[in-house]
Amino acid sequence: MTARRSLNVKVAVSVLVAFAVSMAFSWFLHNSLSERDAYALIDRAFANARAELTDCINERLVVQCMEARERIEDGHPDDTASLQALARELRVSEVSIVDDKGDIVRSSVPDYLAGPGRKAFNFAEADDKDANKMMGLIDGRYTEYCQPYRSNAANGNWRKFVGVWRREGGFFEIGLDGKALQSLARSTCVDRFRNWRVGGSGGIVVTTPTGLVLSDYEEPNREGTQFHEPGGSFYWKRGDIETFPVYVMIPKMSAAVQRDVLVGATALLNGAALVFVALLVGFVIAAFVRRQIREQEAKELAMAKDIQLSALPNVFPPFPDETRFDIMASMATAKEVGGDFYDFYFTAQDRVLVIVADVSGKGVPAAMFMMHAKTLIKSAAQTGKPLAQVFTEANEALCEGNSSCTFVTAWAGELNVNTGHLTFVNAGHNPPVVHRGGRCEYLKTRPSPALGAMEGVTYRVDDITLEPGDAIYLYTDGIVEQPDPAGELYGEGRLLGLLSRNVRQRGEILKTVIADVHRHAAGAEQADDCTQLVLRYRGEPDVVAHEYAPTLEDVAKAVDELTAALETVPVKVRTQLLVAADEIFANIVRYSGATRWSLSVELDHHPDGVRLVITDDGKPFDPLAQRDPDTTLAAEDRAVGGLGIFIVKKTMSPVTYKRRSGLNILKMGKDYGD
Amino acid sequence: METKTISEGDKLTISVSGRVDTVTAPELEANLKFGDAKLVVIDLKEVPYMSSAGLRLLLTSHKAMAAKGGRFEIVNVQSAVREVLEITGFSDILNIV
Repeated sequence: MTARRSLNVKVAVSVLVAFAVSMAFSWFLHNSLSERDAYALIDRAFANARAELTDCINERLVVQCMEARERIEDGHPDDTASLQALARELRVSEVSIVDDKGDIVRSSVPDYLAGPGRKAFNFAEADDKDANKMMGLIDGRYTEYCQPYRSNAANGNWRKFVGVWRREGGFFEIGLDGKALQSLARSTCVDRFRNWRVGGSGGIVVTTPTGLVLSDYEEPNREGTQFHEPGGSFYWKRGDIETFPVYVMIPKMSAAVQRDVLVGATALLNGAALVFVALLVGFVIAAFVRRQIREQEAKELAMAKDIQLSALPNVFPPFPDETRFDIMASMATAKEVGGDFYDFYFTAQDRVLVIVADVSGKGVPAAMFMMHAKTLIKSAAQTGKPLAQVFTEANEALCEGNSSCTFVTAWAGELNVNTGHLTFVNAGHNPPVVHRGGRCEYLKTRPSPALGAMEGVTYRVDDITLEPGDAIYLYTDGIVEQPDPAGELYGEGRLLGLLSRNVRQRGEILKTVIADVHRHAAGAEQADDCTQLVLRYRGEPDVVAHEYAPTLEDVAKAVDELTAALETVPVKVRTQLLVAADEIFANIVRYSGATRWSLSVELDHHPDGVRLVITDDGKPFDPLAQRDPDTTLAAEDRAVGGLGIFIVKKTMSPVTYKRRSGLNILKMGKDYGD
Repeated sequence: METKTISEGDKLTISVSGRVDTVTAPELEANLKFGDAKLVVIDLKEVPYMSSAGLRLLLTSHKAMAAKGGRFEIVNVQSAVREVLEITGFSDILNIV
């Protein structure tokens, strides 16, 4: 969980950092973009202003020039002094008349005219492109022409010349110096920039060459005052248009607002995108982590289940030589690991303990608690303490530090295998079913509290005595609490009925019960671990034992004594035993080289069975290791060797051979009846 | 164990009574004298069981009669004996009537 939280923090921090970086980049980008945009706007405004002002002035001058032409054509004298008067009247600097060859023939400026040793100024011959272009008025390319304000080709004075064509050839020309040009433009052209706006709240300021404001875009306007170049709070540019210094300027604040709006919008979009990506990444990571955790948990559960199962004794019959009782147990685990267990072991030479228990809860904690409880009980029980004390001590140990309040219900019984006396303790567990005197019933006693539930409990034992053939069936609630699809539990009644109808089944009964529980579940998943154990008391066998010499006479004696011992055994089993015994006797007497041999006949009860134990001190011989004869050969090819052992193996079950203390020990037997 | 032998022409009938095992087989073997008989019938009506010692005698007798062109038959086989004959495959090779 800590790993998961720190992962979330990391994701959040990464998202914030990414956001901050992206915003900084966006701000920087928009800042440089807005500066570039501002200067692009300024350049465009400047070009427009230049065109506007130049057009306006040119228009005015063409009108002035046409007026000069009209006055002269109307008869105004054209001598130099008269033209000077006309220029003054029209508020221009010069007036000239040019003939159809491009020569200035009349002018208010004597320098332009032909004089002693000097030709008149000729436009076509002038070494000046702007002057040459005036020739277009003569050859008819245009009817009026405006030169820019410039140092003129004739005498180097700064002038702006404008010409209009003359009907009889040539043209009229006026020229204005800077002062005349400004006074003309000032009154008619400059003020048209007042209402121009550049980039929202920027504008154009026009000044005189000395810096007096002629036209201002701001309110209140600064016209007539000295202009100071704008500082760092503006994007701006200065340029001269027709002798006027012109400033185009945009307050940075205005551009910044635009930039900030853009950055803000970007921030909003970026933020939304980042949140979306963060959510997506978070979701993917969370899903991945969840899957990892699930897989890990499944692995751990499978391991817990394995450990749990491998902790239970699972070889049956658990005590192959034991004839006084038998035990069969099984655990059918549910999908989820639970805390069931069964166990059995000798607590003394003549006492065997059986236990079935169920830990509260599920999962790994329950499985661990189960291992703890199982080990505690076993180690206490194997010291030979009375059962009540074993449970009392185990309870104290399980209560200690049991903060999770896990507890375990258990039913344990300790059987005296010689007498059938069964002492038992019930720690809050389901009552077992006892099969006594041919009928099944629940062995109900007042239970003690579950182990681990309450400190200081003294456990109480009860007891019953089993007769040979009686059995006791232990189980956990997984059996009786399995619901069917309608929710009805399997229940104690069904279990008792099933056991009663199948009392002859012995160990097979466990499979029968599980099958019936699954049938009841009708396809539903097994809800809980189903753990069962059956303990059957068989009682002491009757034993007859004799020792013999390796002679045919003693074989005959052994056969007679065996026949007598098997008097109560059904004839079919009896003859099988006699035949099998004869085969072994024959081997001993003929081939083993034994000096003595013995036969012990053990008659078991519940189920009834016979075991013959035949020992001899001859050379080692394991009859089970011999090859079987081929029973499919024709009579001519058959030999008689090996047939005896083959008959033994086919008719007896089980047959075991041991070589111990210089003796061949062969056990063979047969179970029959109840 | 006892045997009773009745001879009718070429047919020899030997009735056995009592178990046939390691102890009694030598005695039975001594009584299995077929002479010139072409057909030998062993009556096992009174034999409650038989071990492989008895099977050996049945097989050698069967082979001996077959060798001289005669026939060896077994009749009135009791269930315990039949079980042993079946386990060993002898029920397929001997003439059990």
